[in-house]
Amino acid sequence: MADSRRNSRQNHIALAQQVIGVVLERGMSPGDHLPEQAFSEACGVSRTPIRAAFKILEEKEILTWKEEEGYFLEIGQADGLTEEAHRLEDMEDSLAQRILSDRADRRIGDIQSISALVRRYNVTRNSVLNALKILSRDGVVTQLPGRSWAFQPMFDTPKAVDESLAFRLTIEPQAILAPGFIMDIKKAGLLKMRMQELLDTQEGHITSTGFLRLDTEFHSFIAECSGNRFARGALLAHHRLRRATQKDISIPDFRLRQSLDEHLEILDSLERHQFELAADQMVLHLRRSRIRRPEAANRGIPPLMRGARQ
Amino acid sequence: MSQPRVIALFPEASFGAALNCVGIAQKLRDMGAIPVFLCHPGFTGVFAEYGFKEYHLPAPSQPQAQKNEDYWQAFINTHLPHFNLSAEAQLPTYVAPTWEAIVDTAIDAEAGVESLLDQIRPDAILLDNVIMFPAIVRSGYPWIRIVSCAETEIPDPNVPPYLSGLAPEDDAAVTRFEQTYLNATASAHQRYNAFRKSRGLRPLPAGTFLENSDRLNLLLAPSAVRYSRARPLPRERFVFLEGCVREESRFDPPQLPADDGPLIYMSFGSLGAIDTDLIGKMIDTFATLPARFMVNVGGFLEAYQHVPDNVYLGSWFPQPSVVEQSALFIHHGGNNSFCEALFHGVPSLVIPYCWDGHDNAQRAQATGTGRRLDRTTWSPDTLREAILALLNDTPMAARLQRISREMQAEPGARRAAEAVMAAIDVSH
Repeated sequence: MADSRRNSRQNHIALAQQVIGVVLERGMSPGDHLPEQAFSEACGVSRTPIRAAFKILEEKEILTWKEEEGYFLEIGQADGLTEEAHRLEDMEDSLAQRILSDRADRRIGDIQSISALVRRYNVTRNSVLNALKILSRDGVVTQLPGRSWAFQPMFDTPKAVDESLAFRLTIEPQAILAPGFIMDIKKAGLLKMRMQELLDTQEGHITSTGFLRLDTEFHSFIAECSGNRFARGALLAHHRLRRATQKDISIPDFRLRQSLDEHLEILDSLERHQFELAADQMVLHLRRSRIRRPEAANRGIPPLMRGARQ
Repeated sequence: MSQPRVIALFPEASFGAALNCVGIAQKLRDMGAIPVFLCHPGFTGVFAEYGFKEYHLPAPSQPQAQKNEDYWQAFINTHLPHFNLSAEAQLPTYVAPTWEAIVDTAIDAEAGVESLLDQIRPDAILLDNVIMFPAIVRSGYPWIRIVSCAETEIPDPNVPPYLSGLAPEDDAAVTRFEQTYLNATASAHQRYNAFRKSRGLRPLPAGTFLENSDRLNLLLAPSAVRYSRARPLPRERFVFLEGCVREESRFDPPQLPADDGPLIYMSFGSLGAIDTDLIGKMIDTFATLPARFMVNVGGFLEAYQHVPDNVYLGSWFPQPSVVEQSALFIHHGGNNSFCEALFHGVPSLVIPYCWDGHDNAQRAQATGTGRRLDRTTWSPDTLREAILALLNDTPMAARLQRISREMQAEPGARRAAEAVMAAIDVSH
């Protein structure tokens, strides 16, 4: 029962995000009316879940409700609507997110028992089990024989990030080149718009976390479009894990912008169906992203750099 | 219309110098010049990420790279205990072998530097190092010295000796240190002078490995911590900067499970991060304090487990942005770190382990801009007491705010770029 309530809440949060997506696509402004019928059609659901999604957006002060009139947009794109949409995601799976974040920050070890997690988070056994199920769905944890759970490798060290880039260099260009690559132009347009928004910000105002979010969305989108189901599956799982656990990506402003420009160029090539060019651009993009800082440097002594380097 | 000036920046292979040069290069670029970097192997891409062209000194072969890793392991094993010694006791154990290594670097890099300068043909060279590469003087291009270490690197009777951590008034200790320094560096110095001679350069006096530029010398030392010199440096050739803080991407502090209290940042530089045992013990103490801690652990994240709920570990932070948001900066006394703390009006808790960290620790204490804590004798109680005292020191906070305002009114990176451009104009 609790599980189904939880799942239903998660579905409504996902729908609320979809609603914001429609609002952004249609370029709606604060004060604009959100007709239930139009949104239920746009999202392909009945009016009841749309109402529940509107309610969540009202709780987050993204929409206001007027007696007899319905729901109205309270904040627009200029007021940070995109950011608000991302914050909605944080509401999802909050215990799962806390566990994941604590593991990525090395607060908890890679093998965990249910009872240790119950103690740490002061929640019921069922809640912990539910959170672990959510995490296992994303391939982040696996159940060991007995009562323990093991975390899979994460993006918690520079070496792990380097290995991830090596993996992506192998798969991502192939995901583009595989026959059957089909791009959702509308979604690509929305991504391009958000990248341009970031590029338009003042120098030094792009945060690494904001960039990582958009970066994983871009690369997941490329994976989704791939015609090779195995490349698609592997990359989507990989980018989910990146998004959930990658840290320590403080990148200078110049490289963040260069990276966004590279994303835009790849999307442009894909729009023109220049797949080979797009795959080459992806290689260049990932190689540039693979720069590793020395781990230790000192006067007169060669910098130490572990791990693979190209 | 005149061609844009090409300025070749050549920082030593340390993050302090490298990022200090990035700050100056950003301003030079704003002024229409084309800054490029001569880049040590291992720093590939560090400057490109800031949008600057890199010219690479020859990389070591693969066996050499493996040797480097072995070298570092040996370095850690050998020198970690030396970091617990006094500045004077470090002279024979740490400083002397380091100078030998620096001389080796200069000899090894000579051919590469010469060839790259031929390729770049710069309008000026900015050298941020502790040693001269003869190819720079021989090239005939105007060169400018950047002193990104503490002010003590340029000697004066009123300034305590470089790397000593002494106060100027410690007369007896000063004399002893100076003599010990000369003895400890004699062998490396002799070798270096022979190398200079072979390259047609005049020898340098004992203990000196880098001459001042006849054209322009830039010193980071902000006025708040500057010494009153017995022999003031000629203003036309020596420009003091108010630090040299670069522009960095904005840092958003992550949400922590225990997310209350002031933000405290700790970084001992990439070399200091090798002492995972010390940092681990400090983190245990941080867990008992009502504050949030961002800790730079360099490449050694894997050495830490069970990180407390009020602590966040990272292997790299955009430091100027983190310092700006911090209530306290715990560092090793690296000159860039100290200047960044002053620039943002943040008190320093300096725990030095080598080189000019000793000098800045002494200076922070003497100028009321921070405190020094000994890395060997600290206890959880003294660390806690030092942190809380600095957080609650209202007069120090007011002093630092004043210093910060003064420094930000004349940012060092911009001042440096203006001085460089003016010096080049004179030469043309």
